Amino acid sequence: MTQDRSEMSEDDDDKQSPPLDLRSAAIAEPSSSSSSSSVVVVVDSTPNKSRNCISSSSSGSLTSQPFPDHVLENVLENVLQFLDSRCDRNAASLVCKSWWRVEASTRSEVFIGNCYALSPARLTQRFKRVSSFVLKGKPRFADFNLMPPDWGANFAPWVSTMAKAYPWLEKVDLKRMFVTDDDLALLADSFPGFKELILVCCEGFGTSGIAIVANKCRKLKVLDLIESEVTDDEVDWISCFPEDVTCLESLAFDCVEAPINFKALEGLVARSPFLKKLRLNRFVSLVELHRLLLGAPQLTSLGTGSFSHDEEPQSEQEPDYAAAFSACKSVVCLSGFRELMPEYLPAIYPVCANLTSLNFSYANISPDMFKPIIQNCHKLQVFWALDSICDEGLQAVAETCKELRELRIFPFDPREDSEGPVSEVGLQAISEGCRKLESILYFCQRMTNAAVIAMSENCPELTVFRLCIMGRHRPDHVTGKPMDEGFGAIVKNCKKLTRLAVSGLLTDQAFRYMGEYGKLVRTLSVAFAGDSDMALRHVLEGCPRLQKLEIRDSPFGDAALRSGMHRYYNMRFVWMSACSLSRGCCKDIASAMPNLVVEVIGSDDDDENRDYVETLYMYRSLDGPRKDAPKFVAIL
Amino acid sequence: MEGCPRNREIGPKLLDLIPQGRKWYQEDKNNIDQEKKLELRLGPPGGDEEDHSAMKKKNNNTETRNIKMESEDKSFQGFNSNHFSSSNKTSQKRTAPGPVVGWPPVRSFRKNLASTSSSKLGNESSHGGQINKSNDDGEKQVEPKREGMFVKINMDGVPIGRKVDLNAYNSYEQLSFAVDKLFRGLLAAQRESSGGEGEEKPIIGLLDGKGEFTLTYEDNEGDKMLVGDVPWQMFVSSVKRLRVIKSSEISSALTFGCSSKQEKMRH
Repeated sequence: MTQDRSEMSEDDDDKQSPPLDLRSAAIAEPSSSSSSSSVVVVVDSTPNKSRNCISSSSSGSLTSQPFPDHVLENVLENVLQFLDSRCDRNAASLVCKSWWRVEASTRSEVFIGNCYALSPARLTQRFKRVSSFVLKGKPRFADFNLMPPDWGANFAPWVSTMAKAYPWLEKVDLKRMFVTDDDLALLADSFPGFKELILVCCEGFGTSGIAIVANKCRKLKVLDLIESEVTDDEVDWISCFPEDVTCLESLAFDCVEAPINFKALEGLVARSPFLKKLRLNRFVSLVELHRLLLGAPQLTSLGTGSFSHDEEPQSEQEPDYAAAFSACKSVVCLSGFRELMPEYLPAIYPVCANLTSLNFSYANISPDMFKPIIQNCHKLQVFWALDSICDEGLQAVAETCKELRELRIFPFDPREDSEGPVSEVGLQAISEGCRKLESILYFCQRMTNAAVIAMSENCPELTVFRLCIMGRHRPDHVTGKPMDEGFGAIVKNCKKLTRLAVSGLLTDQAFRYMGEYGKLVRTLSVAFAGDSDMALRHVLEGCPRLQKLEIRDSPFGDAALRSGMHRYYNMRFVWMSACSLSRGCCKDIASAMPNLVVEVIGSDDDDENRDYVETLYMYRSLDGPRKDAPKFVAIL
Repeated sequence: MEGCPRNREIGPKLLDLIPQGRKWYQEDKNNIDQEKKLELRLGPPGGDEEDHSAMKKKNNNTETRNIKMESEDKSFQGFNSNHFSSSNKTSQKRTAPGPVVGWPPVRSFRKNLASTSSSKLGNESSHGGQINKSNDDGEKQVEPKREGMFVKINMDGVPIGRKVDLNAYNSYEQLSFAVDKLFRGLLAAQRESSGGEGEEKPIIGLLDGKGEFTLTYEDNEGDKMLVGDVPWQMFVSSVKRLRVIKSSEISSALTFGCSSKQEKMRH
């Protein structure tokens, strides 16, 4: 189940990552002599300690024991192998030099939350046996066109370095990276045992790159293209998979905006006995889906493609879609419906009772169409939909889906002044019916503090609360007051909250609540909120676990930015766009904090001498500023 | 300001402005006037604002809940007054709460829903034709009735294709400029990786055949044509995809096409 959830969650993040993924990465290579006590330099950035502290290794004590170091390290190696969590591994690596060395040689899964925090060379120098690699690039606001294209986050230097260092690499998972077809070709050529390629929100490549991977990675188990922009190079990549039986377990290409060779796909599915997850794009019709289902009843996760016809079907020959679905006893995760013809929706009834995950977020379904479906989905844990289901639909969800953990409601009409079919009514209903809710993303046009407070009280398990009131600066539409109390209640009552996105009319008071109560908040998104610098100061001086801060169009200036200097080394990044920052202040911070890369990103018309900062993106880095910054990025 | 005799005539209002600026607004109960006062106070950008910006920020935004509710100008207060840029984004906000880049924060592939599913089911489908897609490509020209018109564009020698929103341009010149911006860097990178010089050269002469590259397109009948011959609107209504080809290969590209399914002779 967790597997499927991580499939769907766009911003799934390893919740265990410590504030400092890189803290132990700064440890210098230990000297070769093991008998004398060596010095280990640790960049220790916990707030109360000085930034650099030096601790000596314990090898002095080892020599007094009868066992030589290498035997101890062998034992250590066998033990450390069982450590999976990178949080634990980071901690273990700080114990002493020899633990550091052993941990580095046994870590097989590496997570890098910011591709510019370190150079590829540093990665390969420290970790020698990496088989799985997760890398994240652009900051999230780049998804909303707040960053010019060609900003960076190129996969090329990573793949070329790893090609030489990790020939046994099996898994690559990228998010918001710029990946070219050449990169994919190099990947396919360099890693003979390559098994899993996951590209989330990536761009820069096309179907030709995918074709190369399909063709050359003979052990490929997972090829997941999720919400990525894939150019149509008019290459029949499906036909490029090898002719014999494949190892494929998961194939997701719902984001590929290009027609596919269906006959080849059918053949591929037929010779992929291990295939469990198949997510089709909108160029696969209902009839074609039907044929695939008949051939692959073992599927557990299905993206249904368009769920419609191109031409008029003849009713006598119409396939029995419901029968095909009922043959799929194992389907627990359903998505797609890209061009839904709602009259065919009842075909999915047979699988509803088993569903744990349902994604209707591309389907414009009315409440009347929706209710009969959802009433069968008692086991549902993850649900994504458009607001077209209305408050009424959400009430139906609340009545039936008692196991719901994650809810995302997207706007069918994403404009500020659109009608808005969901409101506080839906939110209130969900809070009352779905007590186990952990994660919510909710777009609406109107909201009340009362409903948000109700959710804070009814859903104590909430870890992710993202509310987007689409009209900027909208207050509680019943009382006319700011939304301070609502969000305040969320941070106060939801003790497990790690991620928060705020909206609506918010004063500094809301931020005071966040600073005071947001003890575990790691990610905070702010837009069009706050009155003054105090708001940001509350957050920077509170929120001890804050890692990722993204702010846009809010009246925060230099004083606020300066107030956070004591903690920027402990954060992954800070993004501030359309705020009130001056170049001078950013420069000061850059000078005062040499391990912080301070990028000022302007539009093309920017005059370099202008003092106003349009976008600030800053992040810690072990290897200094990047060399591939485009012209519109100034690194101070 | 404190020592200025003229201010004493005006009375305590201005003096109060400095230590406790809030009173300035608390004394005004008349909401209608307040909206107007806001507009007056903001005035033209630059100049005064720079000195008083910090103060104004506090004054604007504290204790003005009532104003904020009614006024759509809220977005112009405070931080916008500190925008020294004269970009269209700011100037648009002054007159109406126009669309803002990247707001609401919905990824672009989720924005095209109306066009694909509005014909199938009516719920909010009446909004189908009115979705404003100009968020995707900058919002300088707001045309709420037209949807973004994205066509693919490939360039010879560059493996990565891009997309352009033709509704964002009004002329061939603008399109040509956009093509240069899109591909200049990519082309240079491509040349560098294949051993040539990686220096970025502007891509010019796309329309007149004089540059190294020429812009061509495939229309809705599958014909391949040179860009620039027909009136702009006619071009926009018939173009299906774009291709930037080497000028030296114009004749062969147009007659035989490159991986197109229909090959037609250009007359």
